[in-house]
Amino acid sequence: MNHILSNKKVILLYIAPALFLILALVYVPIVLTGYYGLMKWTGFGGMKFVGLENYSRLIQDSLFWQSAYHSFLLALFSVLSLIGYLLVSLILAGKIKGANLIRKIYLIPMLLASVIIAQLWMKIYHPSNGLLNHILIKLGIENPPSWLADPEWVLFAIIVPVIWQYAGFYILIYYAALKNIPQELEEVAKIDGATPFQIATRIKVPLIMNVIKVTIVLAVVGSLKYFDLIYVMTGGGPNGASEVMASYMYNKAFNEFDFGYGSTVGFFLLIICLIVTYLIRKLTVVRPNDNN
Amino acid sequence: MEPVKTAVQSSSVARTRKPSRTINRVAYGILYLFLAIVAVFQIAPIVWLFFFSLKDNQEVFHSPFSLPTNPKWENYIKVWTEGNISQYFFNSVVYTASAVVLTVLLASMVTFAITRMKWKFSRLVLGLFMVGLMIPVHSTLIPLFNTFTKIHLIDSPLSIILSYTAFNLPITIMILLGFYEALPCEMEEAAVMDGASIHHIFFRITLPMTSPVIATAAIINMIYNWNEFVFVNTFISSDIYKTLTVGIQNFIGQYTTDWGAIGATLVISILPILTAFLILSNRIVEGIAAGSVKG
Amino acid sequence: MKRKGYSLLFAAVLVWTVVLSGCSGGSEAGNESGSEKMIQFMHLWPAGSSKHHNMIVKDIIEQFESKHPGVHVEVEVLENEQYKNKMKILSSSNQLPDVGFTWAAGYLNPFVEGKLFAPLDDVLDDGLKDEFVSGTTEAYEVDGQTYGLPLELNIAPIYYNKKIFKENNLEVPETYKEFKNVVKTLESEGVTPIALGNKDRWTGSLWYMYLADRLGGPKMLNKAIDRSGSFEDSAFVSAADEIQKLVKANAFNKGFNGLSNDEAKSQFLNEKAAMYLMGTWELPNFTTNEEIPQEFRDNVGYFKFPTVEGGKSDINSWVGGPGVGLFVAQNSKVKDESKEFAEFFVEKWGDQAVTKAGVIPATKVDTGEVELPQLYIDILDDLNQSSNLTLFADVQMSSSVAETHLNLIQSLFGNEVQPKDFAKRHEEALQKE
Repeated sequence: MNHILSNKKVILLYIAPALFLILALVYVPIVLTGYYGLMKWTGFGGMKFVGLENYSRLIQDSLFWQSAYHSFLLALFSVLSLIGYLLVSLILAGKIKGANLIRKIYLIPMLLASVIIAQLWMKIYHPSNGLLNHILIKLGIENPPSWLADPEWVLFAIIVPVIWQYAGFYILIYYAALKNIPQELEEVAKIDGATPFQIATRIKVPLIMNVIKVTIVLAVVGSLKYFDLIYVMTGGGPNGASEVMASYMYNKAFNEFDFGYGSTVGFFLLIICLIVTYLIRKLTVVRPNDNN
Repeated sequence: MEPVKTAVQSSSVARTRKPSRTINRVAYGILYLFLAIVAVFQIAPIVWLFFFSLKDNQEVFHSPFSLPTNPKWENYIKVWTEGNISQYFFNSVVYTASAVVLTVLLASMVTFAITRMKWKFSRLVLGLFMVGLMIPVHSTLIPLFNTFTKIHLIDSPLSIILSYTAFNLPITIMILLGFYEALPCEMEEAAVMDGASIHHIFFRITLPMTSPVIATAAIINMIYNWNEFVFVNTFISSDIYKTLTVGIQNFIGQYTTDWGAIGATLVISILPILTAFLILSNRIVEGIAAGSVKG
Repeated sequence: MKRKGYSLLFAAVLVWTVVLSGCSGGSEAGNESGSEKMIQFMHLWPAGSSKHHNMIVKDIIEQFESKHPGVHVEVEVLENEQYKNKMKILSSSNQLPDVGFTWAAGYLNPFVEGKLFAPLDDVLDDGLKDEFVSGTTEAYEVDGQTYGLPLELNIAPIYYNKKIFKENNLEVPETYKEFKNVVKTLESEGVTPIALGNKDRWTGSLWYMYLADRLGGPKMLNKAIDRSGSFEDSAFVSAADEIQKLVKANAFNKGFNGLSNDEAKSQFLNEKAAMYLMGTWELPNFTTNEEIPQEFRDNVGYFKFPTVEGGKSDINSWVGGPGVGLFVAQNSKVKDESKEFAEFFVEKWGDQAVTKAGVIPATKVDTGEVELPQLYIDILDDLNQSSNLTLFADVQMSSSVAETHLNLIQSLFGNEVQPKDFAKRHEEALQKE
């Protein structure tokens, strides 16, 4: 048995194509980004080696740290939102009528391109004829904030659609994981008189713990390098109030022709992601993995 | 397989205890109300998009949430007649389908090797794939462009398919990993005892068993690839190789944007993935049923 | 059965890969296959959004190709943002198209420094220079050499809604004091005086530039940017102060800092706001665009930014300048043909730009010869009488200073920075260059 499962040729055959792709198309750029990060470079023309100068600039760059703080807030809220998605998935994966239809409906926003999601939310947040302020005024709030223009509100205003955009993604993953749990376990628990709540917290959630861990990593890493909606909806403004690390990097590299420094930010972002992922893995180790 | 499932269900219904029935009813009522409200919120955007596609710029901005007063079907005609939309459509389908199949297959192979087989560097290799998650796309563009130029893949569909695959492999592997680890290995071990070859185990046991998560991963990959435009714009310059997302850009001008036409393009572009999504998402449940019969 | 299925799939993928890589080989066989020469041309006027522009471009290319047998022009079209992105990436590996669009001054400089654009003085000295409105090609000059042939020329008037003005018994203001009265009256009548979408930031910059010009004189900004002057000139501070006074007087629509220019424009087009300061590229919307109600279009007029009492500038000093222009790549394999194409393009474009696409070209237009809506004729006449043209600040500045400027504009309008600090931080950014 061990002989078959540790056949080197087979392992190589299964790993090599994917590994080759990722080395050629992801690692080469990562290494080059790290290299450009040590340069003073507009993106074309001559490069000048400046060593760690860009990094010392980064450490002192308060605008970068402000954007990093925003990214971390986004990551925090994304992780918290997972609880809600897990709850919805538990309900949908339970034996309720119409679950199949409801699940499909829930996933629909996921199909929409970012450009249209941005348009939708910009119209919801519009200060004078937006949906949100219409409702707030009807509710008697006299001077509702002009969301995307207000430095105090803009970050939260932008976090909501980002989280909403990914609802389908996580519900889909959780749902599939829950459906993967053998029915028998639930039946046995029911015979023992467990309530649906107990079944959910004591049996189902622990059983999909590995999947939950994966989603936490995905949510955190995804948030830390998030870019799309924010760039379209506010461009990081007003005056940096909704800037995140990836949009900061983009602005530096592509709008300010400072590709060297932009690469430094990009590479630093990767390092932050690595550290955070490592910490998550450390913190969420429930039991040693017995599959190996 | 169906009879088995219904038998299980009816037996569980019979076991529901009597006293709590009314409380249950109320609880279910509230639950359904909640689910229905959320459902309305989730389906509204697509309806909104449809109305959006029938408006002109004036209406789009002035009354964004009302019904189109004077539906502009000509937006659709404009989209169909201007630009190469059928070519773009075909390309989108080809790139998306090729990349999804390639990604899911390669990712399954890797995950299988990492979770089911015994070798020294499995964790290290897994780590290598995971780092791929963390790199922001925009800092890869210039290096990737240089790489593709050097290997003469610039302005080739292959550069798109390979990039999609490489960049989606990490997330796909991550998704698969959680499932593989939760899935008991007994079936595979039994097959090993029976003297089955490793390919036999992978293709005939593991892949069918994991078809729900394959469907899940395929859906996610499909949506990502379908809506992607940064790679296409960067690596492709010939019009014949561009995708539907370019159709959207066709309506963004130097100083003004034709939003109604963009809406119409998006409605057209959402139909095929909506269909594919509905089909694939049924697989999530069917896959389980098929697996449980074998068990 | 299943296994066969998967192996088939695998085989299909392999075949597919080979086929795809096969078709890519064809297009790669690049620039000079046989006697056929190919000019790669990249522009940002897609057929969908800029139908007329796009048609003119196609037409010009056809004419060029028929006049130059054996030369083929290969076109790629991208929208604004993606265009700029691609320019950046293509330059990084020295793969720019032979001919393409560029912007003036601050955008152009790094490309010139990187030796990516070819000097076009030989083309201009051929007699082409006389066809341009004076002052337009200068914006594409670096160290005495010109690297771009401008296609557009825009100035920014304040458009206003005649009907709203009439309803409120308002006259077109000629002095800033009168202008403030107009704002006050409109505001008290519950009409939004000015539509502004300051998420895009350059929109607010227009207001600031005019105030700086009217207070401190036409060359003050240029001098501060080219470092022969300082941004801490008191006029820069008072201009910033005036902006905040306008904001406090509710001159602009609510939430302007979170609204795009498109959204703000729609308020003006829907008669929700009385005034709108914007470039002349909007003229088609007020004249020929059939999608906008005739009644509204008839109601749009414009006026020049009012003069400030005691200010150093006159009413004929404009903010504006050339927009996009053509460049020719330095390392183009078909440089001569490309230059010829660029020259041909500029000439032909000038003939039809304003009549067919409503774009005021940077080449001279004879208003007596062409038939145009009155608004265009007035603007072109005003352009002829202009005493000064100040290029958009964010175009004049290098890209990193421009970024600082634009962010500060948003803070200024949002009341997050004091006028003094506003000027000081500009000065600091400019000094760092």
